[in-house]
Amino acid sequence: MPVPSANAKIGRLLEKLDPEVRPVHEATLGFGPSLTLERFRFSNGLTLICCEDHAAPVLSYHTWFRVGSRHEKVGKTGLAHLFEHLMFGETEHLGPGEYDHQLEEAGAETNASTWLDFTQYTVNAPANALPLVVCLEAERLQFLSLTDKQVSTEKDVVANERRYRVDDDIEGATSELLWSTAFQKHSYHWPTIGWMPDILGFCPEDCTQFYKTYYAPNNATVVVVGDFSLKDLLSRVGKAYGPLKSAKLPIEDVTPEPPQVEERRAEVVKPTPTEKLVLGYRGPAIGDFDHVALSVLSEAVCSGRPSRLVKRLVHELEIAADVRVFVGPFRDPGLLEITVTARDDHTAEELLRVVDEELERVKREPLTEDELERALARLELGLLASLETVDGKASTVGFYETVLGRPAAAFERLETMQRMTQSDLMRVARKFLVKEARTMIIVRRALEAENADTSTCPAVKALEGGAA
Amino acid sequence: MKAKHQVERTEVNGVPVIVETSHALPLVNLIVARTTGSVLDPTGKEGTMRILSRLSRRTAGGRPLQTIEETLDRLGGSIGTDASFSSTSLSGTVIARSLSPFVELVADAMGCPSLDRTEFDRLKRETRAEIIDGRDNDRALAHRALRRAMYPLHPYARTASGTLATLARIEHEDIVKCDSSVRRRGGLIVGMSGSIELSQARDVAARILDAIPEGIAPVDQSGDPTVPEGRKLVIVDKPERAQTQILIGLQGTKPVDPDHTALHVATTVFGGTFSSRLMQAIRVERGWSYGAYASLPIDRYRQMMTLWTFPSKDDAAACTKLELDLLDQLVSVGITQKELDFAKKSLVRSHAFSIDTAAKRMGMAVDTATLGLPMDFYAQYEERVASVTLDEANLALRTRFDPRHLVVSVVGTASDLRERLQDSIPNVMSVDVVPHDSEDL
Repeated sequence: MPVPSANAKIGRLLEKLDPEVRPVHEATLGFGPSLTLERFRFSNGLTLICCEDHAAPVLSYHTWFRVGSRHEKVGKTGLAHLFEHLMFGETEHLGPGEYDHQLEEAGAETNASTWLDFTQYTVNAPANALPLVVCLEAERLQFLSLTDKQVSTEKDVVANERRYRVDDDIEGATSELLWSTAFQKHSYHWPTIGWMPDILGFCPEDCTQFYKTYYAPNNATVVVVGDFSLKDLLSRVGKAYGPLKSAKLPIEDVTPEPPQVEERRAEVVKPTPTEKLVLGYRGPAIGDFDHVALSVLSEAVCSGRPSRLVKRLVHELEIAADVRVFVGPFRDPGLLEITVTARDDHTAEELLRVVDEELERVKREPLTEDELERALARLELGLLASLETVDGKASTVGFYETVLGRPAAAFERLETMQRMTQSDLMRVARKFLVKEARTMIIVRRALEAENADTSTCPAVKALEGGAA
Repeated sequence: MKAKHQVERTEVNGVPVIVETSHALPLVNLIVARTTGSVLDPTGKEGTMRILSRLSRRTAGGRPLQTIEETLDRLGGSIGTDASFSSTSLSGTVIARSLSPFVELVADAMGCPSLDRTEFDRLKRETRAEIIDGRDNDRALAHRALRRAMYPLHPYARTASGTLATLARIEHEDIVKCDSSVRRRGGLIVGMSGSIELSQARDVAARILDAIPEGIAPVDQSGDPTVPEGRKLVIVDKPERAQTQILIGLQGTKPVDPDHTALHVATTVFGGTFSSRLMQAIRVERGWSYGAYASLPIDRYRQMMTLWTFPSKDDAAACTKLELDLLDQLVSVGITQKELDFAKKSLVRSHAFSIDTAAKRMGMAVDTATLGLPMDFYAQYEERVASVTLDEANLALRTRFDPRHLVVSVVGTASDLRERLQDSIPNVMSVDVVPHDSEDL
C-alpha cells in the first residue's frame, strides 16, 4: 500500500513505521523565517503537528482539545475548567500525584489552560524525557480515574482560584461582568471558571460524562516543538495513542448572539483606589478578515504611548493611569475590549468623553500612514518575541490549529496585516466601533459609595439600556 | 544537560560585554546593566534610582518622549528599564533590520539623557498613579508589608518604586545629583543576544559607552540584613476580601554562602514543585489554596525565604498554622534521602529551561556579573546541586531557618481575621494592622 505523503523524505520515513499505527502525512507548512510544520493524522482522528527545532535540548509537548466553556450548559458552567484540573489526578496505572512526580523528576514542567473555545495541556521537558511524556499523556487520555475525593478536593481548589482570579480581583470581576452583560444567548455569556454555585455542585458523574464525550483522539491535536527525531516521535505517538478509539462527538448546540441594538451599561462598586471604565464593542470572529484589520486598528489607536488614546488620556490630559485593549481571539464573534484606569479623582465619565471623541475621529479621519506603519511594526515584534521558546511556538501552533484549523495562521495573519490599508482600518472602525452595540462597565470606588453593593457578577448596581 | 551554544565574553573600553549569536529569529536583545541598585536610594527618598532609570530612557539625547516612543514603534523595538535592590538596567528588543537606529536611542539614553525637568514632573505624577493603582494587587501589598517588618533596619525593607511619601520628597535636583554619581563606565555590563555577530556587538557596545564618562559608580555596602527577634504578624487591612494573601518570611542565604545550594535544594523539597510538602498538604490534600510555594531568591546579600499561599478567609488561620507546623517539622526533622534525590533530579534536569534560548543564557551571564558572582556560577549549577548530600541539606535547614524568628504578612479584612490568625501563630510577639492605602506602604 503506498504511503500517502507528497513529501518523499517523510514518505520513506512513514514506510518504516508499523502500518497498524502509521499516520497519514497531511501537509508540510512553512512556519516563520526558518521552521517547518509537519502535520499528520492517525486513523483514530488524532492530529499530530511537529516542528523540529534543535536549538536547545528541550521540547514542548502540547495537547489541545476542541472543547471549552462554550460547550457547557446552564447550571454546569466551569466543567471544562474543573476537568482540566482533574486531568492531573490519578489514573488506572498512576497513583495520586504520580503524574506530576514522574514529570518533575524528569525535569519537566506542566501547565494547562481552559478558555472559551479550547482546553490545552503543556509539558515542557528536556529532550530525553520524550518517551515518558508520550506515555503519560496517552495514559491520562485513556485511563483517568475520577473519584469522589478527587472531585471534591479539586472543587475546593477551583473555588479558591475563582476567589483569587475573580471575586477579589478587579480586572477578573469586571471582565466577567462585561461578558455576561454583552452576551445573553451565546455560551460566551458565562465565565470559563464557572459560576460559584455550579463549581460547588459538580459530581464525579458530570466529570466522567464530560471525559467520555470530549476527550477523544478525534477531538485532539498533539503539537510537539523542539529537539526530537521525527521518526522516533511518530513511532512513539503511534504506539501510545494508536489503541484509542475515536468517539462520536456531539453536535454543538451554540446559539448565535442576536445583534445588539442598544448600549448596555452596568456599574459595580469595589474597594479600589481609582475608577475604571471598560468598554466592549462587538468584534468579529478570529477567522474573519476583519479580525486582522480590527487588531491593527486597535493596536494603532489604543496601544503604546504614541497611540491616540494613550497620548490624550495618559500623556496630555493626565486623567488616566493606563489604557489597555484586547481583541477577543475567538471562534465566534467576541468583543473588542478597551479598559481605562482613571488617575486620582478623575471619573469614568471624563474618560468616556475622551474615548468617544477619539473613536469617533477614527471613523471620520483615516489613520496616517505613519500610525499604520508603527502598529504593524509593533505587531510584528510581538509575534516574533512570542516565538523565542519552544513553548511559545507550540502555543501559537496549537492555538491556531484548534481555533482556525490552520496551524501556521500566525504568519498568514502577519502577511495579511502587511497588506492592510488605511481604507481597511477606516471601514472596520465604522463597522465595529458602534456605540449602540457596545457594553460599558464602570467600576466605582467603594470608599466613596454610599450603600455600596460590592457583590460580584452577576450583581449589578445599575443597568441602563438592555438589561443583562 | 548542557546547552549547545555558549555565550562569548569580551571587553570594550574596560566594560564587560557578553554576547550570544543566534539567528533563529530576526531579533536582537540588548541589556545594559549597572551594579548600582535601589539600596543606594537616599534615605527618605526611596524610588530615586528607578526614577533616574526611567527618566534617562524618556529623555534620551534630549528628544521629547513622544518622539522616542514613535521612533521605537516605527523600528519594531521596545526599551524597558528595571531597578532592583542591587542593579538597574535598560533592556530592549528590536527587529534586526532596525538595529542601528535602535542603538542610537539606547546610547543616548545611557550617555546623554537631558533629564528634562518637565518630563521629570510628568514621570513623578505617573509613578504616583502607578503606586496608587498597585493597591489593587493584594499579593504585592503583602510583599511590601513583609519586607518592612522583616528588615526594618536595612534597605531591603524598601521597594524600588518607593512609597507615596518617599516619592513626594524626590526633587529634580536629587535625580541630577544621582545621575552624576552613577553614570560611569565602571560597574556597567553590556549584554546582547540574537541576530548579531560578536564583531557587530563590539561596535554596538562602543557606541553605547561612547558618551559615558569613565570612573566608578557607588557600590552597595549595606551588608547582610538582620532579622528582628520573635514572631510577628502584620495584617494589611483591606475591606471585603473573600480571600487572603499570606506570605511568611524567614532569613535565608546569599548565593556565595557555602550552604546556599543545600538550602536551595531543601527549599525545593518544601515548596518548589507540585510534589512538594507544602503543595501536597495545602492544595492536594485539603484544597485550601490554589497554590502553596516556598522560594529562596538570591541577591548580593542575604535574602529571605518566602512561603506563599492564598486561602479563603475562612481557611486562613488553619492554613497559617499548618504552614508553621510544616516549617517546624522541616527544620527539626529535616528532609529524607528520597525527597533529596527527587529534588536534585528535578532541579538539575529542569535547568535546561533556564538556558534554552540565547536571550536567557545571555541574561544569566549578565546577572552573574551584576551580582559579582563567580563567572561559572550558573555553569556549575547542575554540578553543585547534584553534589548536595542529605547531611548538608538538613544542616543548612537547621543552621539557616529559625522558625522562632519570622514574619507572617497577610492581606485580608482585619476584622474577619485578626483574632483567629493571632491564635494560629504560637508565641506571636506582635500584631500590627496596616491600612492597605497607607502612604508608607
